[in-house]
Amino acid sequence: MDYKKLGFKAGLEIHQQLESNKLFCSCPSLVNDPNPTTTIVKRKLRAVAGETEKVDIAAEYEKSKDKWVIYETKQTSSCLVELDEDPPHNINEEALEIALQISLLLNAKIVDKIQFMRKTIIDGSMTSGFQRTALIATDGEIKTSKGKVKIPTIMLEEEAAKKIKETPTEVVYSLDRLGVPLIEVTTNATLKDPEHVKEAASIIGMILRSTEKVKRGIGSIRQDVNISTKKHPRIEIKGFQDLRSIPKVIEIEIKRQLAKKTKQKPHVRKVNPGFTTTFLRPMPGSARLYPETDIRPIEITSKLLKKIKIPELLSERALKLEKGFKLNAQTAHGLIPKQKFFKFLVKKYPKIDPRFIAQVLIEHPKEIKSRYRVKVLDKYVEEVLSYFNSKKITKEAVFEILLELAQNKKIDLKKYEILPKEKLEKEIIAIVKKYKHLSFNAIMGEVMKEFRGKIDGREVASIIRKHK
Amino acid sequence: MPSYKPGNSVEITTSSEKFSGIIMPSSSKKFIFIKLKSGYNIGIRKTKIKKMKFLKKATKPKSKTKKVKQNKKLPTITILHTGGTIASKVDYKTGGVIARFTPEDIISMFPELKNIANIESHFISNIFSDDIRFKHYKIMAREIEKQYKKRVKGIIIGHGTDTLHYSAAALSFILKKCPIPVIFVGAQRSSDRASSDAAMNLISAALFITKTDFTGVAICMHETINDNTSIIIPGTKARKLHSSRRDAFKTINDVPIAKINYKTKKITILKPYINPNKELIIKPNMEEKVAILKIHPNMSEKQFLFYKNYKGLIMEGTGLGHAPVGTKEHAKILTAIKKIIKSGCIVAMSSQTIFGKVNMNVYSNGIKLLKAGVIPCEDMTTETAFIKLSWLLANYKKDKIKELMTTNLKGEINERLQTEFI
Repeated sequence: MDYKKLGFKAGLEIHQQLESNKLFCSCPSLVNDPNPTTTIVKRKLRAVAGETEKVDIAAEYEKSKDKWVIYETKQTSSCLVELDEDPPHNINEEALEIALQISLLLNAKIVDKIQFMRKTIIDGSMTSGFQRTALIATDGEIKTSKGKVKIPTIMLEEEAAKKIKETPTEVVYSLDRLGVPLIEVTTNATLKDPEHVKEAASIIGMILRSTEKVKRGIGSIRQDVNISTKKHPRIEIKGFQDLRSIPKVIEIEIKRQLAKKTKQKPHVRKVNPGFTTTFLRPMPGSARLYPETDIRPIEITSKLLKKIKIPELLSERALKLEKGFKLNAQTAHGLIPKQKFFKFLVKKYPKIDPRFIAQVLIEHPKEIKSRYRVKVLDKYVEEVLSYFNSKKITKEAVFEILLELAQNKKIDLKKYEILPKEKLEKEIIAIVKKYKHLSFNAIMGEVMKEFRGKIDGREVASIIRKHK
Repeated sequence: MPSYKPGNSVEITTSSEKFSGIIMPSSSKKFIFIKLKSGYNIGIRKTKIKKMKFLKKATKPKSKTKKVKQNKKLPTITILHTGGTIASKVDYKTGGVIARFTPEDIISMFPELKNIANIESHFISNIFSDDIRFKHYKIMAREIEKQYKKRVKGIIIGHGTDTLHYSAAALSFILKKCPIPVIFVGAQRSSDRASSDAAMNLISAALFITKTDFTGVAICMHETINDNTSIIIPGTKARKLHSSRRDAFKTINDVPIAKINYKTKKITILKPYINPNKELIIKPNMEEKVAILKIHPNMSEKQFLFYKNYKGLIMEGTGLGHAPVGTKEHAKILTAIKKIIKSGCIVAMSSQTIFGKVNMNVYSNGIKLLKAGVIPCEDMTTETAFIKLSWLLANYKKDKIKELMTTNLKGEINERLQTEFI
């Protein structure tokens, strides 16, 4: 498809949960609180006129549903604030600092005095009937392979409650997620094609993770894509399961739009399994924002800004590891979360090639997890490397021992004892004689079957060659 | 540079950026607040502003409120507005919430009322309920009298919640004979938000007024933190027991008069009432020189002597109605209380336990106080006792007051306490 010809325009809205307490109370951000429900509260929300005296159209749409809203609360993850029975407490300063950190990483300009607004949302997902949201920074940018992309706004806001169930008469929400600090990063509508949208989303995601203070896992980051073409007004697509599906979903949506003959209205769509999308609701207007009078505006002082440390980007950290230890790019990326431990191991075991350490630290555990469904703890890696460093075991034995440790088996080092060279040669000669008629590889296999983990493969090969 | 006049559209150039938006009212000297096109407000440091270009003058929002038609089949309710969050919207001048009070405003905010009654409205004040004084009770009473003459079915008084129970108690006594329902309504969440409790409280009060023959003063608020039932609390038996919850108001030492189901509109009477009055008699005077003194450990006689020339004092005692008068060290306190009483001040004792009745015959400290002339307030709340004493002082002779303080006049004393508690 020729996206340029279509007049394709796309922008991103990325929502990322922060790893900190809730934004306006002291509850922990337990997004999926496993504890039992302690209270159930029943509410009815009303559409109200916004600041501009207009009842917002999106709000009106929700009102027409006129349902009871049921809130399930757990005392482990919510308090009266989430229930809208207590005004918001002072802002969680850590969350604000993370937001500022992200703003600086995105080269944005921080607002002098931020003011939280109430964004009217009456689908029930906010107990108050609005989401508290503030514009934190403006005019940022990221670099992509297809040029710079502007980040006009960065918002700090409250996460909504989680919908559990909906019937024609009621909608049920769980309050564990409500109030979790959320960052919203938007790009302007200059993304050139579906692949470019994916790339920008991936870069922003990397930048957010660089703070190491964002939540990970399913639902912790959400991408909404706004697209329009010459023929079709703005459509917002929500609910991408992962980045990889972005180009495909956009492609299918554009095809759907091209098939429409009548004039279309802007609206919000959600992603279905199988990359298609369906109508979700009309586009909300701007009338739904008015000041949150329970929270006084917050001045971003130079003192506060000085406190904010700008972390090195994950991409830069990976590149450093890649170059510094001659690693491949994938291993280097995988190493980032364990960077400190990796460097500690490199220093502790100077005789071992750092590339091998990286392999034992990153690749082996991955393989062990996928093949044997057990977790390799860092201390096992350290233990097994110490045997290898002191030449108690061969390189080949490292994987086996790591697996045994992960499986909680008792390690019998004798099993992996390195044979003295003369003894080894004798044993090998005997095998070579026995299987004279077999090929080199077959003999090699026979030897290794007997001595796996006790001898070095290269040494075996050279002995076989000598005697065959 | 154009002035920072709120409502004007401007384009602001700072050392690093350019913003255009509408100037918002703000009391800040260092910052200018503007509303961007996105709807977000931001504060810009004034010293950073390089240039400000005037774009457009403020436009006044047109209020499209339609004149409400009267329905002759429906009774009329007058809503008196005194302040508080019951009928309010955001005020961009102060950043707080402001009241709306024309009948049109009220109907546009609570259209359900249209089908229950014809709504009249009258503005009394728009103040925080903390700023309510005795003079405001008088204004309320006079306005009720006026409305009564217009033959309205009942009155709803929109009131801030903090001192709502004081006002309800005051009107209970001031409206000495009251042949119509006067229902105080408050909201714990302002009505500018979708989750406001104002609508349910107001609509429930209107239903109660039109569907029952109750007369007298009561309060209508949420029963629980759910939006399904409201309760009607006797005006002399209410107290705000929570700073923020929707169900902050509880009935103290009594049961609610009725319960209203918001969904089914069903009204359940919980406490049968009588309607003894056929006419309205108001006695709006209140004695100003009355106070409340909370008893606590480590008190000195000076704290008591302060009230020497007061006309009335409610001591909010501990437990069954006690004050520190038991030890030698505290003998001066007992002397001080005697001195106050001798000075002509009526001293009465309520309990800070909130629930339960004062009984000063059980412990010697209580007996000492009784002997000194302290009047027990029975099971009245401190707030109701304070209001009652202030009202009695302005309307009766001293000996009669002593007698009436312990006599049930308006449901403020419940002689047969049951198991009701929180």
